[in-house]
Amino acid sequence: MTTLNFRARVPVFDANIGVGHLRNRASPFESPEQLLREMDRHGVARALIYHLEGEAMSALEGNERLLSWVEGQSALHPQWVADPTPDSLAQLQQLHRPGQLTSVRLHNTRECGLPFVDWIYGDLLEWLAAERIPLWLSLADTPAVEARETLRRFPDLVTVLLGAHYAHSLIVGPLLRQLPQAHLELSRYEGLGKIPPLIREFGIRRLVYGSFYPRYAMGPMLFSLHHLGLETSDLELLCSGNLDRILKEGEDR
Amino acid sequence: MIAGSRVIDFHGHVGRWDGTGMRDDPDEMLRAMDAVGIDQSCLFNIFHPDGRTGNDLTARFVKRHPARFIGFAYVSPLMPETMAPELERAVDHLGMRAIKIYPSYTPFPLDNPVWDPVYDFAHRRGLVIITHTGIEPTTAPRFLSQVAPRFPGARFVAGHAGNVEPFRSQAIRAAQACPNVYLETCSSFRSPGVVEELVRKAGAERVLYGSDTPLMDPRCQIGKILTADISDVAKRQVLGENASRLLGI
Repeated sequence: MTTLNFRARVPVFDANIGVGHLRNRASPFESPEQLLREMDRHGVARALIYHLEGEAMSALEGNERLLSWVEGQSALHPQWVADPTPDSLAQLQQLHRPGQLTSVRLHNTRECGLPFVDWIYGDLLEWLAAERIPLWLSLADTPAVEARETLRRFPDLVTVLLGAHYAHSLIVGPLLRQLPQAHLELSRYEGLGKIPPLIREFGIRRLVYGSFYPRYAMGPMLFSLHHLGLETSDLELLCSGNLDRILKEGEDR
Repeated sequence: MIAGSRVIDFHGHVGRWDGTGMRDDPDEMLRAMDAVGIDQSCLFNIFHPDGRTGNDLTARFVKRHPARFIGFAYVSPLMPETMAPELERAVDHLGMRAIKIYPSYTPFPLDNPVWDPVYDFAHRRGLVIITHTGIEPTTAPRFLSQVAPRFPGARFVAGHAGNVEPFRSQAIRAAQACPNVYLETCSSFRSPGVVEELVRKAGAERVLYGSDTPLMDPRCQIGKILTADISDVAKRQVLGENASRLLGI
């Protein structure tokens, strides 16, 4: 039964939270403690966080700033941002040596004016695939055609596709069919009745909960997933189990 | 019902928009409503400028589940001669409870006199008009500040409450300035703190829950209200009490 207040009833590991200020947008929170308070309000136990500065300005500097957000915080897991510069790859390789790298998020290709093609991103993608490090890629920023063409060249690369919107309704199914190593993060995918067919065709293991906080409020999609009529075991996979598995597969390389 | 309170979704569609996957399947819509306790959804068809075609489709849709769906009439100034007679037909003969307008499908801003016959009809009948508001030049909510005082018998609802800044602030200012302006919450931009801001600045009695169903899932959109950091009293007002009062149901 629906009540006036909501907290998640399964363990939740949010796959998509940005921290820090953007150059053109101030974040509603300024510290790990503030973020943790908002997570706690919705019953979110853990979050994979990246620094927003890495999206369009500098992956290198954003990643450096991320360190202060995760230090001593067991609930906040770092996700490092990558761009196609040699400096960025070198930084990731350095982070990888002590085992700090469990996933990488591609910077905002659109805002940087770059096509997502192998002759620009090939070195990065090849290295990620060889090291079995999963890549987060935004469909809000990367044309689906480029995602499909480029990722098909790296069949071993595990990906999480972010930011699909109701406008992607006719794209998501075919894209997941084309990319068997791809998962779909659900923060913006809210067309009526669009998630159950994906579960039926691709299985619950291909879907991942993320909030896209602070661009989007943290609670609404989580609330919605709790009311899809899923078995508790499937809801757990969606809200945390699948993300744990994706990151663990990278760790077990 | 949620916690004993009636829940009314103030923003929904009849019709198909295949490019986005939108499909007005009543079973799917009712399933989503039932999953979270939504009692009724307000629906309109905005895809036909003659009004009549879409209003007939809406009436037929509502007739299948009259306890669950509420029809709103749609007219467009692209066919100005049809507006007043079609409103009369839709309200008096089809039982429509309110009016929807969609200036984005026209070249006419909300303050263009071409809309006056709609506003005047609502003013004379004491009806609600819900309009799309947002970034499109014809739909800026600041126009409501000029129009609403001229038609005090009508109640104006800013669909999407302006959607994003600076239009959200325009919508809030319109509600603050005009007692007959209300703000509706659905938006695919689910920015944090928006519901809280609308309630804080315009008052909970002026905010209405809407979802844009079936374009968007009412579960996710009602989640915006239920997970917002506002009082339970405010949630009840937003979820249905205000809509009940406005529609007289």
